[in-house]
Amino acid sequence: MSVALPIPGFPGRILAVTLPAGPGGTPVTVGGQNALPLLPEGEHPNAPAVGMEVPTGPLELPPALAEAIGPFAGDPVAMARKCAGDWGARFLFLSLSGCHPDAGGQSVSFGAAVVREVLSATPAPVIVGGCGDEEVDARLFPAVAEAAGRPVFLSYAEEKNHRLVAGAALAYGHGVVSWSPIDINMAKQMNLLLADLGFPPDRVLIDPLTGGLGYGMEYTFSIVERIRLAGLSGDAALARPVLCHLGDAWKAREATDPSEGTWGDVGARGPRWEETTGLACLAAGADLVVCRHPSSVARLSGAAWR
Amino acid sequence: MALTAIDIYKLLPKTNCRECGQATCLAFAMQVAAGKASIDLCPPASEEAREKLSAAAAPPLPKVTIGTGEREVVLGDETVLFRHEKTFYHPTAIAISIRDDASGEEFASRLAAIRRLSFERVGQRISVDLVALRCVSGDPGRYARAAAAALDATGLPLVLLAPAGPLAAAVEAVAPSRPLLAPPPEDLVPAAKLAAERQLPLRVRARGIDGLSVALADARAAGAVALVADPSPETPRDAVTLATSLRRLAILGRVRDLAYPSAFDLGGGFPDPFLAAVLLVAKYGSLLVLDSSDPADLLPLLTLRQNLFTDPQRPIQVEPGVYPIGAPSESSPVIITTNFSLTYFTVRGDAEAAKVPAHLLIADVDGMSVLTAWAAGKFTGESISKMLAGCGIGEKVTHRTLILPGMVARLSGKIEELSGWRVLVGPQESSALPSYLRRLPPAAFLPVHG
Repeated sequence: MSVALPIPGFPGRILAVTLPAGPGGTPVTVGGQNALPLLPEGEHPNAPAVGMEVPTGPLELPPALAEAIGPFAGDPVAMARKCAGDWGARFLFLSLSGCHPDAGGQSVSFGAAVVREVLSATPAPVIVGGCGDEEVDARLFPAVAEAAGRPVFLSYAEEKNHRLVAGAALAYGHGVVSWSPIDINMAKQMNLLLADLGFPPDRVLIDPLTGGLGYGMEYTFSIVERIRLAGLSGDAALARPVLCHLGDAWKAREATDPSEGTWGDVGARGPRWEETTGLACLAAGADLVVCRHPSSVARLSGAAWR
Repeated sequence: MALTAIDIYKLLPKTNCRECGQATCLAFAMQVAAGKASIDLCPPASEEAREKLSAAAAPPLPKVTIGTGEREVVLGDETVLFRHEKTFYHPTAIAISIRDDASGEEFASRLAAIRRLSFERVGQRISVDLVALRCVSGDPGRYARAAAAALDATGLPLVLLAPAGPLAAAVEAVAPSRPLLAPPPEDLVPAAKLAAERQLPLRVRARGIDGLSVALADARAAGAVALVADPSPETPRDAVTLATSLRRLAILGRVRDLAYPSAFDLGGGFPDPFLAAVLLVAKYGSLLVLDSSDPADLLPLLTLRQNLFTDPQRPIQVEPGVYPIGAPSESSPVIITTNFSLTYFTVRGDAEAAKVPAHLLIADVDGMSVLTAWAAGKFTGESISKMLAGCGIGEKVTHRTLILPGMVARLSGKIEELSGWRVLVGPQESSALPSYLRRLPPAAFLPVHG
């Protein structure tokens, strides 16, 4: 006697998107599935991909990160090699945070040069993140698009700057990360705006804004679930791979404060905080996660099953 | 599935007698479908209608309780598969294990460690819920004494993981505390009889959904009623799949014979228990037994549970008041925002990133974001002026300058007029706070005289 299980079937399928690699590297393809994550049902041609952030500019690392990546974090090229090599990141998120006026104020041409160097140092697929200052990013994205010797993804295009970012990406054959602030309607709207510009849909990833564990993670969890269910149910503008950047996990006091004895060792607690945030994202349906701690890459890769 | 208003209407007398207080039977049916009225309000309704409606109103996943009083743990009683569809009602219960063969000292220190797994977060206390007592000794007397000691030391309800003999001995000792009986599969029938006799909840463990289907029937045949199903997975991946299957059988399939809260023993060598626990908090685990008592594991796990089991339709609110950022002085900036938790976390995070000590005023707007609260008339010149006068900030600073969110710059005039405070319009987005705060001239916060 065997119990018949109710398995929901979906008419839609998530678009497969490839993050290209350099010569000798392994490209990352995500998406392509027609079912919910973590379950042995439907088709999952690609496992979720776990990547790592390569920071730039001056850093103040919390204890757990200082110990793990401190010796490399100041040198983007060394860090990129380490992430893609020993630490097993399948792609890199090169954050040009150092170009922010308040976080180092590196020049746009310096930022573009860092991109060039990192791309020639490793063949791993790369997403390049802006610095978050509107005015600087408006100059930074076109410069990065031009400087990158091979296709990358630019992160991120939002409602305000999407023409500029998508335009720069289109001109040089790059992809874009389409960002919205925990809002499924905005996520859809962004992808429609990109489509209006003639941007190829298989070069778009959705970034729904990832709240850290304890600080809004539940909003991200539900938005990712809703985006995924909408995509699988046939809403083509939302049938795209979702990227969750786990950086906010490291803003939590619980991940970084060594002084609370009753919270356990901060060296273990920090990575656990990031890992838990990432696992919740994967359970909700994220296709790509970006970590800061090498142990999170290993832990989340172990859970990123098809 | 839930009945629609039309389904319900068909079951009603259709006489429009108005005894229920509604103008028509259809109007009443709509009220019932929306959960706003009960069939009991319709005296002429047939017995058949009553039965069908109360069956449809019963939760697809029944409720099982462990423990009593304040520490009672409720499992199951869920109605949806995704929290955004409505909400999840009963958080995944976490039990920490302890062995009955531990020495007196070890036993006591382990219980003390379990008691310490309780943390304060955003005004709520988050704690582990139960103690799971593993029978390793095989000695009924020792096991019963250990059960009584664990209950006495922690006050937490117990999960009794033991074969039939020790289980019976422990039940004699602690039955009034309503423990969960958790026998190994081979002792299911005697344990089910014990559960039936003492009216206690029973965990039924068997391999997979098919195994459970048989074992649950055996437990029911022995008279046990309050059941919790453990499909005994072998890996974390297996656990998520089985938990999902059980929940879908209850909610989508309405398969009553398998509609029970789920339980998972992630101790005793289960591979990667932390991974399994996180995924089961996110995906349909009702009760988890863990061997780890490391707060570095439990704090993130309990925080995830706190996050996911909040009602998505009711924003989490932060206690209104004056919050220090760093160690502010009487000349530190005063920033105001609203008590929606995300707004508060974002603004606090950005203000901390500025490394400029400040006073953060959190206004009571029923948990709305700045723009929503403004649109709803809850974040106004009047309400802000009232807060400035009443929250005690006037004694904490010597200046009278308020930094207002840029989104509601239009409130400046009214605030200045009503409160006498000067208003500086802050950035539109909280993310610009660090550079904004660092660029503020200290002269902005000089004491006011007279």
